[in-house]
Amino acid sequence: MALLRQTYLLLCKDLLLELRRRDSLLTMFFFGTLLLFVFHFSFDPAPDKVAEIAPALLWLAFLFTGTLGLAQLFQSERENHCLDALLLSPLDRGALFLAKTCFNLILMLIVEIVVMPLFWILFNLQTWNLLPQLFLVTLLGTIGFCVLGTIMSALTLRARARELLLPLVLFPLMIPVILATIRCMENVLRTGEFGDATPWLRLLLGFDVIFLTVGVLIFDWVIES
Amino acid sequence: MGAWGFVSLAYGIVWGAILLYLIVLKRRYASAAAELAALRSAEVTSSDVER
Amino acid sequence: MALAAIAVGLYWGLIVAPPDAYQGDVQRIMYLHIPTIVAAYLSFFLVFVGSCLYLWKKEKRDDILAYAAAEIGVLFTALVIVEGSIWGRPTWGVWWTWDARLTTTAILLLIFVGYLMLRSLIEDESRAASAAAVLGIIGALDIPLIHMSVYWWRTLHQPPSIFRPDKAPWENVAWPLLIPLTINIAAFLILLFYLLSLRYRLGEMREEIKARRLDRGG
Repeated sequence: MALLRQTYLLLCKDLLLELRRRDSLLTMFFFGTLLLFVFHFSFDPAPDKVAEIAPALLWLAFLFTGTLGLAQLFQSERENHCLDALLLSPLDRGALFLAKTCFNLILMLIVEIVVMPLFWILFNLQTWNLLPQLFLVTLLGTIGFCVLGTIMSALTLRARARELLLPLVLFPLMIPVILATIRCMENVLRTGEFGDATPWLRLLLGFDVIFLTVGVLIFDWVIES
Repeated sequence: MGAWGFVSLAYGIVWGAILLYLIVLKRRYASAAAELAALRSAEVTSSDVER
Repeated sequence: MALAAIAVGLYWGLIVAPPDAYQGDVQRIMYLHIPTIVAAYLSFFLVFVGSCLYLWKKEKRDDILAYAAAEIGVLFTALVIVEGSIWGRPTWGVWWTWDARLTTTAILLLIFVGYLMLRSLIEDESRAASAAAVLGIIGALDIPLIHMSVYWWRTLHQPPSIFRPDKAPWENVAWPLLIPLTINIAAFLILLFYLLSLRYRLGEMREEIKARRLDRGG
């Protein structure tokens, strides 16, 4: 399919650029780690309390780190008027959307894969065996974040006070994802399996699918602005 | 505060806010209308000049 | 016609307040609360419709409608929250509670305040219009998901300090109360359309001003 092929090409371009300079990736990684430290000082949780707030802290750290990544998302297009060039070409806008979403997703996943174990170490959590399930939840949540985030990032591209506006419009829309991921993680940490939290998983999946589709369809108009 | 106190507080705030918005709207409306009238009459005079 | 609408609204509101509400006078806030909610939801529905139409047909008037409806919607939603808070204080003893409805309404407010900010922060008018339209549509689509997730949060996950006010008094509204309620809802809807038409005409005038200024400049 032409859409997928175009997506793949755009994605490779972005990944190659990132591989060479690595500025987004490194900034996100260090920022995420920094947040962990700050959270630890701020909350100073007693060992038995940590598991309760761990999902929330973790997901908050990812949220803010991801927002950093989003602000950078279209940076390479803004320079040198690449965006105009892209728009002039007979490119499916949906492909641009998918490529940017995947790009941000990959960046965030790399950061998350490193930061999650780091969190477990720093906060002295013992539940290493639960990491795979938690990572699944994180994956679904991150997809939701990247999908909506890419749309919002593109929408606010030419706005003043963009760094402030982006979180302002994005975060309220993200609330279902935030609620779902943190509740899911809490349940997993408490009971060792998904169990009661399965509806939340389905919500996440639904959220991802809905807004992925909407994004592909609506990105034409998004990028006009 | 008695029950009626709360009721009047609620009604007061709501109608106050709506009234406030109405006043602001009307002011903006008036200034926009004035500006529009000025622009329209300026246009009329300039098109007179063209003829 | 304008003044008549306001007069009708105020008159009905005050006249029907006297008929007694047996659950205590604070119950009367409902005559304000439900109509405001209805007006707010209708406004946001109009934002959604206006946004869709604008993206589809690109006609200025749909954008003007969306902007007008958003502004007024934000006003009414903020009022809903204030009303809910004031109603909550004597009924449950607290100014705020994270119950499903109040929380969802607060989130709704945040989304559409973001909408207004997006509009005002983008310089280019047509870009601002399309961007806002997209945000309007996504916001509207997200609302059911937000509602669901907040509701689940409040019913599936009970925090230790449980405080679950049953915030659905109007589901069991007694017959005698329905009449003043309906009248008030009607009054608020009249008020809503009045405000909307004013704001809409303001938007139209602003458009014309801009167009004429451009003509003169060019």
